[in-house]
Amino acid sequence: MTVLKDVVAELIGMFLAEKRLTIAVLTVVTMAGCLVDFTDLDPLVGGTVVLFGCPILLIESVYRCAKAGTS
Amino acid sequence: MTWSIATPAVMAAFLASLVEVVEAFTIVLAVATLRGWRSAALGTIAGLAVLAAIVLLLGPLLNRIPLHSLQLAIGILLLLFGMGWLRKASLRAAGIIPLHDEDAIFAAEAAQLGQYRRRQQTNLDWVAAITALKAVLLEGLEVVFIVIAVGAGRGLLMPASLGALAACALVLAAGAIIHRPLSRVPENTLKFGVGVMLSAFGVFWTGEGLGVAWPGQDLALVLFAALFLTAGLVGSALARRISVEIAQ
Repeated sequence: MTVLKDVVAELIGMFLAEKRLTIAVLTVVTMAGCLVDFTDLDPLVGGTVVLFGCPILLIESVYRCAKAGTS
Repeated sequence: MTWSIATPAVMAAFLASLVEVVEAFTIVLAVATLRGWRSAALGTIAGLAVLAAIVLLLGPLLNRIPLHSLQLAIGILLLLFGMGWLRKASLRAAGIIPLHDEDAIFAAEAAQLGQYRRRQQTNLDWVAAITALKAVLLEGLEVVFIVIAVGAGRGLLMPASLGALAACALVLAAGAIIHRPLSRVPENTLKFGVGVMLSAFGVFWTGEGLGVAWPGQDLALVLFAALFLTAGLVGSALARRISVEIAQ
């Protein structure tokens, strides 16, 4: 049972390492999806949002964590 | 299959597997050193069997999912997973969180098994085997995900699996020769590199899943990787500056 619990925790931890970063990435992808699906813009605009949004989120997350002094 | 996308997929699977297999090997070695190779081998084989079952179960299921939905789901998971690795590697490079220490992990596992030995003599072989199983299973899950994620979108499961197997063979060969935890593997550098590659794949698949036709097609991955590499390095430099400022 402990093994199963550890496996589930590992699976969750694999994708939800940091809550704020996870939510932010999902928000950016949702925004991109909305741009692609609900506007007449070229889908590349949505792709560009993900392409530049995610690295910016990464820098912000590392910076914020360093400021807080914890991971 | 084009080499421009097969090579990063195989490399990502190989390097990520190298990191994970080194971690699993440390724990299996601790079990083997304390309780002999029988328990360690039993746990390892059981762990590998469970992983193989997961792959055999998931593999055919993936073929039933429409390609765009599969690319979008895998792309998002890769983004979350890859950026998580890259974030941690950047923080480790900046000294904000400590580096992974295989020698310390080996000592901790050995101490834990020693505690069990003092408490209960009879079931120790099972405890040792389950410790090895858990290590192989937990670290292996990440390998399975990476292989599926970088391979499934473009029918590259086989090359990606071969990359992961090559990493296993390399670690086992090195471990058999030196018979100690592989503490000299530049784990954080590898994690940084793999985080960059997985994040780049994540953007690529997410975009394809959303219907984006990336200019340059597969070659766009190089630009994406460069962007994430820059972001990781900038993040790490900023974090290092902050830690220096706090220290002063």
